[in-house]
Amino acid sequence: MLSSWTFFISTLVVYFGVDLLSGLSLNLQFGYAGVINFGYIIFQAAGAYAAAVVTLGPSGPASFQHYVFGAKLPFPLPLLLATAVGAALAGVVGLFGLRRIRRDYQAVVLLIVSLIALQLVQADVPLFNGSNGLVGIPRPLQSQLALTPQGYQWAYAAWVLALCALVYLLVRWLSKSTWGRSLRAVRDQEDAAASLGLNVTALRLQVFVIGGAIAGLSGGLLVEFIGAWSPDAWGYAETFVIFTAMFVGGVGNYRGVLLGVLLVPILFLQLPQFLPQIGYPGLTGSLEWIIVGLVWMAILLLRPQGILPERRALALPDLSREAA
Amino acid sequence: MTAPDDMPGPSPAAPAAGPPAAPVLSARDVVIRYGGVTAVNGLSMDAFAAEAVGLIGPNGAGKSSFLAALGGQARIQSGSISLAGQNVSRLPAHARARRGIARTFQLTSEFSGMTTFENLVTAGHGAAGASLASVLAHPRRSRQQDLAMARRAWEVLERFELADIANAYGRELSGGQRRLVEIMRCLMRSPTVLLLDEPMVGVAPHLVDRMVADLKAIRDDGISLIIVEHALEVVRELCDRVVVMADGASIAAGSYEQVVKDREVQAAYLG
Ligand SMILES: Nc1ncnc2c1ncn2[C@@H]1O[C@H](COP(=O)(O)OP(=O)(O)O)[C@@H](O)[C@H]1O
Ligand SMILES: [Mg+2]
Repeated sequence: MLSSWTFFISTLVVYFGVDLLSGLSLNLQFGYAGVINFGYIIFQAAGAYAAAVVTLGPSGPASFQHYVFGAKLPFPLPLLLATAVGAALAGVVGLFGLRRIRRDYQAVVLLIVSLIALQLVQADVPLFNGSNGLVGIPRPLQSQLALTPQGYQWAYAAWVLALCALVYLLVRWLSKSTWGRSLRAVRDQEDAAASLGLNVTALRLQVFVIGGAIAGLSGGLLVEFIGAWSPDAWGYAETFVIFTAMFVGGVGNYRGVLLGVLLVPILFLQLPQFLPQIGYPGLTGSLEWIIVGLVWMAILLLRPQGILPERRALALPDLSREAA
Repeated sequence: MTAPDDMPGPSPAAPAAGPPAAPVLSARDVVIRYGGVTAVNGLSMDAFAAEAVGLIGPNGAGKSSFLAALGGQARIQSGSISLAGQNVSRLPAHARARRGIARTFQLTSEFSGMTTFENLVTAGHGAAGASLASVLAHPRRSRQQDLAMARRAWEVLERFELADIANAYGRELSGGQRRLVEIMRCLMRSPTVLLLDEPMVGVAPHLVDRMVADLKAIRDDGISLIIVEHALEVVRELCDRVVVMADGASIAAGSYEQVVKDREVQAAYLG
């Protein structure tokens, strides 16, 4: 009994960490730069796939699943590759998807890209093993660490949290930099930003690639934990959960994102899976999506700035005056 | 009636005896079409340092579109625009800004989710501050620049006596304050050409005189001003030269006194 609870909690911690990385990525892209990345999930899925295939080993004729670029790279190279693949894919998609068109059109383009990607992956068996996805992905360093299954669970959770802390600090620092301030200018008024010398297209692409790198990393962390990769698990709806979390917690405030990620995905989506079923099978699952939609609408109506709004950056003091 | 490029006149700042100064900004035969609508139809115009040019004309004459052509917000179908002798017609807006064009917009364009202070500092950093590479590679230098920019922002705020709105968000400001934030933002950049699209709209009457005085001072610092303005008393007070537009073309140009007497101008205004 006790061991199943520690298993449950440590699993939740890993999910929380992965969602937090997603929230940080989307908050940088949307909260700071105003880029509505409704295709977030494909960058996470791409990172996960990359990490999976370079952990599984070569895909030979004897292997029961098909994939490309099979290799057996040592830890932490699969994660680094996942990060790089997320960034590279974001670079390519951003180059086409972030044209200077209206922002809501960009969002729709990105959503459609994610839908097409899902169809493509499910249809193409030799490339991604079709809708069966990949299974049997070994967990990193499991044999080397020689921990109990529970010990390993906790070690993995701690590793995820450590990476979260690192990314959190990095993203917050970037957001507060002059670069981050330029992103907010682009978000608020892109014509004015350009008229002050800011290269709007380049700034958007940069933030998109950094967000994609974080997405790839989060996907890699998740796939190495679960040990399986299936295209069905990367539906576009997952992106909306993170968006809801960001709006609940507070767009443009990283502590708000942390709070939102703690509340929304974990409470509404993960917890019920461990609870007894109500009604017919699948009812709880469907209700969750309805709840997520309602929560998002409610927060937009009642408190559009979120629980913790973006914080006002106070002016630097006038040093020359104070010295005098 | 005289075409505007026939009578640029020497810049007031130019030494009386020397050769005539070259224009800072020069537009030739600019045409802008939006679908079937021709907003600007072959307009030419020069702007000189330390000179204020007024651009007036009825609504829909194409004044804002012409400013957009100069600033790079609108693509021109034909004609050319050169800045300090270089053709910038194909450069995007941010590249023209880096070469010295600054502007305000008819619909105020303050960064609404940023404080006045941040609006100014962002403008001051411009491209340099937006560079991810420099932030990553030289965080300390970037911080130093921020302090230098803060000093400049305070200077500008004090010049306009607006230090008390330094920490107010753009969306919390009045219409007149937003106009001033836009102008202050431009001044953070030390432009050579300043384009103003109806800068007095929403500005309280007692502040209009102040702003006219400020704009005169900006002009006398050597900046070339092009102002779209409906308030004719402002144009008379501030502008060295006036170009009147109707239906996308210039119908008169000259001093304020000259153009208001023009029949065609009176006809265009009265409809
Ligand atoms: N973005 C646009 N799309 C389509 N038509 C436009 C656009 N901007 C301006 N126009 C049209 O171009 C003409 C000139 O507009 P504008 O430059 O705003 O004039 P002004 O500033 O002198 O009032 C008008 O007929 C206007 O309707
Ligand atoms: Mg106009």
